[in-house]
Amino acid sequence: MPIKESTKLKRLIKAIWIFNWFNSCGFIELIPVVASRWDMERFGMIIVGSPRHADVLFIAGYQTLKSIKRARQVYEQMAAPRVVIALGSCTMTGGMYWDSYNTIKKLSDYIPVNMYIPGCPPRPEAVFEACAKIFQHVEEMD
Amino acid sequence: MSARSTMTEIMNASASTTISQSQPATEEGGYDLYFGPAHPGSGNFGVKLKVAGEVVTSARADPGYLHRGFEKLMEYRMPIQNSVLSDRICVLEALNWNLVHAEAVEELMEIEPPERAKYIRVIMAELSRIQSHIIWFGAFCIGTGFETGFKLAFGYRDYILDLFEMITGGRVYPAGYICPGGVRRDFPDGATQKIAQVLDQIRRMLRVEEMENPGLVGRAKGVGILKLQDAIKLGATGPVLRASGLKADVRKDDPYEVYETFDFEVPTREEGDAYARYLVGIEEIRQSAKIIQQALRQLPEGEVIAPKFKRIKLVTKIPEGDVYVRNEVARGEAGMYMVSDGGDKPYRVKIRGPSFLHMIPVLEHLLTGAQIADVPAIYWSLNVCPADLDR
Amino acid sequence: MAAKEALEILGKISSEFNFKGEVRRKGRIWLDTPTEGFVDFCRWLKEQGFEHLSAISAIDWPGEGMCELAYHLWSYLDKTLITLKVKIDRQNAVMKSVTEIWDGSAEAHEREIHELFGIKFEGNNNLTPLFLEDWEGLPPFRKDFNWREYVGEKYYDRDNERERVYYD
Repeated sequence: MPIKESTKLKRLIKAIWIFNWFNSCGFIELIPVVASRWDMERFGMIIVGSPRHADVLFIAGYQTLKSIKRARQVYEQMAAPRVVIALGSCTMTGGMYWDSYNTIKKLSDYIPVNMYIPGCPPRPEAVFEACAKIFQHVEEMD
Repeated sequence: MSARSTMTEIMNASASTTISQSQPATEEGGYDLYFGPAHPGSGNFGVKLKVAGEVVTSARADPGYLHRGFEKLMEYRMPIQNSVLSDRICVLEALNWNLVHAEAVEELMEIEPPERAKYIRVIMAELSRIQSHIIWFGAFCIGTGFETGFKLAFGYRDYILDLFEMITGGRVYPAGYICPGGVRRDFPDGATQKIAQVLDQIRRMLRVEEMENPGLVGRAKGVGILKLQDAIKLGATGPVLRASGLKADVRKDDPYEVYETFDFEVPTREEGDAYARYLVGIEEIRQSAKIIQQALRQLPEGEVIAPKFKRIKLVTKIPEGDVYVRNEVARGEAGMYMVSDGGDKPYRVKIRGPSFLHMIPVLEHLLTGAQIADVPAIYWSLNVCPADLDR
Repeated sequence: MAAKEALEILGKISSEFNFKGEVRRKGRIWLDTPTEGFVDFCRWLKEQGFEHLSAISAIDWPGEGMCELAYHLWSYLDKTLITLKVKIDRQNAVMKSVTEIWDGSAEAHEREIHELFGIKFEGNNNLTPLFLEDWEGLPPFRKDFNWREYVGEKYYDRDNERERVYYD
């Protein structure tokens, strides 16, 4: 009999593997999350080099027309179940560059997003809070 | 209606790009290799390499992943809004670009900031330069396989970011702290002691012996040699030019703010390879710490903003004219050309970023004839910031 | 060669050629030059020591029907910056290239201006698109391309209540 979606996800959140699509300035506060001050490897989260190994996709900051095509290809290469987390205010409304001809204004029109983290750029503690919320959400699924 | 139609246009247009086409082999048996933005060893840029065996025969840069059209965005905003936007020209050295924009507006309006403001600006700009060179060191270590150096570097960088948060309010983006006329607010109590403590930590980082890892030295020595004649012809500036033998620094040749009163050296080396650029970067951190110490001793009392800007008025008219300002940011020579026609918004702003010429002529020249395994070491040693290349 | 002051350099230029210029402050010379003989003048300047081409900027003046180009040159020996301003026609924007004098740095700047302003440079055969992919339309940085209207049509939705504010 087929395995339920919530069972698959509960096994995954034991240790999530992340692929960073770092395209813009919103990414700069994700580096301390990996480095020694807010070390995320003690929770079992590591950065992988290929989207095919990843469970979670972090999209940070504004995307231009040239890079959203590549981001869409990266998203399609990930295997289900997968989670997309969008960082920064540029993914919600266009942010500081709302009147630019080359940036996109709402990320959810192109890639389905599960969680947004506000900020310009969001602090490293906000990333951990977002992960905690995802874990809680998965635990409560039936 | 509009956003959905845009998405289908974009996805259909992707068939005409070269992402998923496989390239035919050339006569020598080589093939095309795309070293692109999602590679863990590269940054936000792409390079199209033609490869034969292990040797790169030609390279072509593919920028534009971060193009926002900065220069025209600034035409729709007033100078006080532009000073917040100018942090984001290059995220890794936000305060230096703030200073460039503030100097351009002040020179057009013929206003001098007070003495205390100039010293505070120099202290913040040098701290930002140290922080940017630490990122360069950390990224160079990842590019050559020395992971401990990366963790060391970013651990020490957080001391400086805490200091920025105490003084300006933001860790990475100071929200226009250096504005036309001076700085927004004065140092809080205890800031000067904290700066002295942070400088001690930085000096301790530079004394750690693990920085000379044999793997890093082996991968960087003799790799990516840039001769002096080529460097001047292709337009290199900053640490890249100094590591090839020419002693040129905008802070000494064309001084701005109060740099004439400080006593510091400009490090140069002769070899021009990746290891020489790395050593120049480390030595510059020491010299910046020396400048900050002298500035803290000479810091005078007084106002921090010119009287004309003391109360924030939304509409300030900029007189007609044009001006070209040169500064030394961490990556090289930065220039801003501002034209005004008498209104309250600038008519044209042209930003000259140092990474524009490091990426397109210099990188293509250096990658020809190199091994594939050396490509990350060469790229990270040039200290390219893709954001001030695409603007 | 000993280092020269800005006024000395300006005096030398005025005696050799007949151009009008001014020295605005220490180390800054501004000159208005015509388009004929421009490349020879640049070659003469490079022999005088102006080896570094800092930037080429383009400014669009639709009201006067012309585009202006500004060349910023720096001399490492004399520590002076000289800015040359040239005016060309806006409808038929063509200019001679300076890549034979300043090689790679001039080529990159001219490529960027060709893409964003639509100005052709004769003698530069590497004028391929740099930042934009599949862009058909006006050159984006010209003054007749209004960004806020363009963004309002293509990206935002006037019927959506939250996005209506972007139309004011």
